[in-house]
Parts: sequence; structure tokens; C-alpha cells
Amino acid sequence: MKIICVIPAWNEAKNIAKVVSGVRPYVDETVVVDDCSGDETAALASAAGAIVLRHPINRGQGAALQTGNDYALDHGAEIIIHFDADDQFLAREIRDMIKPIEEGRADIVFGSRFLGKSANFPFTKKYLIYPLAHLFTRLFLGVKLSDPQNGFRALNRRAAEIIRIANREMAHNSEIQIKAFQNKLRIAEVPITVVYHEFGQKLSGGFKVAKDLLINKIIK
Amino acid sequence: MLQQIIALIIILFFILRLISEKRKKKINRNEFNLWFAFWLLSAAAVIFIKQIDRLVAFFGFSGSGINFLIYLAVLGLFYLIFRLRLTVAKLDQNLTEVARQVTLKNK
Repeated sequence: MKIICVIPAWNEAKNIAKVVSGVRPYVDETVVVDDCSGDETAALASAAGAIVLRHPINRGQGAALQTGNDYALDHGAEIIIHFDADDQFLAREIRDMIKPIEEGRADIVFGSRFLGKSANFPFTKKYLIYPLAHLFTRLFLGVKLSDPQNGFRALNRRAAEIIRIANREMAHNSEIQIKAFQNKLRIAEVPITVVYHEFGQKLSGGFKVAKDLLINKIIK
Repeated sequence: MLQQIIALIIILFFILRLISEKRKKKINRNEFNLWFAFWLLSAAAVIFIKQIDRLVAFFGFSGSGINFLIYLAVLGLFYLIFRLRLTVAKLDQNLTEVARQVTLKNK
């Protein structure tokens, strides 16, 4: 099965070469979607062996992922991996992520930090942001997953064709989960490891995600 | 009375501006109709302010008709901001799609 890994990146010169080098042994092609970085992200990713797509203007992580999906589908991908550029995920866990798809058990696989593997969660994330996000996605969006905000996922071709990401910023995460449930795709969760280097999304970011989801729902 | 005349002159000025913009084809028919109806209603509200006063009192509101009109105007503004927000969001979505097509075409 042809596996293409899509890595959205914005000003990730510090990590991108390491991430691309780490991912390449596990996939057939690595596509970095450079979201109009102001640093050397594109050049470093290219030097590390990635195919680089460059947005002419900054559009956000969700937009970059959809650009990568379009490219991957056009180039015959049978499995598409979404992987973060900030070196938080372990590339070797790609094997675990694609297994349910290869075995025909799932159309889409979500990585989860809450299924047993270690993750050095910051305090407020663990006890405030994630419980709130979990409650929100379960009650209002009908998403029954253990991890409401995780960028490590694998999609088979059908799932990538069905799920078209409309939220260009961080709300894409919830959007993909919602669309997976709405379209009755076969869903699997796989335990993954996350190594936090920076704090990441704050509580205010969570409110913005909810607002973006609502607006995209209205303008659809 | 003087206040009503001033208000009507101002409304007339906006209606003339609107007609001029339509003639220069700066706005489309739907937009013209919407704003023309808005200014006509505003003029009617100014002319019949006494009747609105009575109507507002009839429904049990304590304020005068002009207060009521201001409340309506604020509601209208909120709605317009909401519509603008949706338009901007739609434009933003289109911009993303254009950026994507340019990116994929350049590869």
C-alpha cells in the first residue's frame, strides 16, 4: 500500500529536518506543506528528502493538511498519515497507526495519549483543557474518542476523499473527528506517545476552536 | 418639527447617494433594494414618530418612540455585523482554496 505522510509546517526550521528524517523510513513519500514560513523550513525539509509544497500565504494548519491530502490523493496514496512538525510524535509509531487500515479494520485511525502510553502532560492541559475539550466534543459534537485533540492520524483513501477539511486553523482536529463519525467511517484508536516541548494550545484556543466550528457550520 | 425636517434631509441625502451608486453600478439591484427599503422605512418612522410613540405606549413600553427606534437600530446593527462576519468567513475560505490551488499547480 502506498503510504504518504503529510506534515504541515510553519516556522519549524528547528525540528523539520529531524522529523522528516525520522518519518521517511516508515512511508513511501513525505510531503511537507510549508505554510509560508519566514524561516528555512522549506529548504531544510527539501534537503532532508521531503517533497515540499509551499502556501503563498499563511493559511493555518487545517488548510495545510487539506493541501497535503489533495496532493497525496492525486499521487495515488492509499494511506495518508498526518504528522506534526514539532517533533512531539514518535515516527516509529506510524507502524502501529497504519496497522488497523492494512488489516482492513478501520478507515481512519486516531492516535490517543490516553490509552496507556506515556505523555508528559502540562498540568493545566491534563486537568483543565483536556477534560473540558473531552466533555465538549462528546456532548455537543457526538465524538466518542478518548483523545479530543490529537494531530497524529492515519486515513485510508476513502476517508481522505470523504473528509474535506474546511476549518483552516486548529478546529480541523475536531472537524475531522466529527466528519469521521457523521460519515460512519470505521474508526480505530491507537495508543501513542507524545513528548511536549512547548505548552501548545491554551484554554482560549479551545474557545476559538468552538467558535470556528460554529461559523464553518453556518457558512457551509 | 425642525428635528424631523433635519432627519428627513439627511435621509434624502443618503437616498440620493444610493441612487447615484446604483447608476454608477457600484452596487447590485438586491443591495440597492435592501438599502432603499431601509431608508424609506427610516423616513416613515421619522414622519410617523407620534404614532410610534402611541404604539410603543400601547404595548406597555415606558420609553418614547425614538428610544424604541434606537433599540431596533441596535438590533439591526448586530444582525449586519453577524452577516458581515459570515461573509468574511466565506471569503477567507475561498482565499484558502485559491492558495491551495496555486500551491498544487506550482508543484
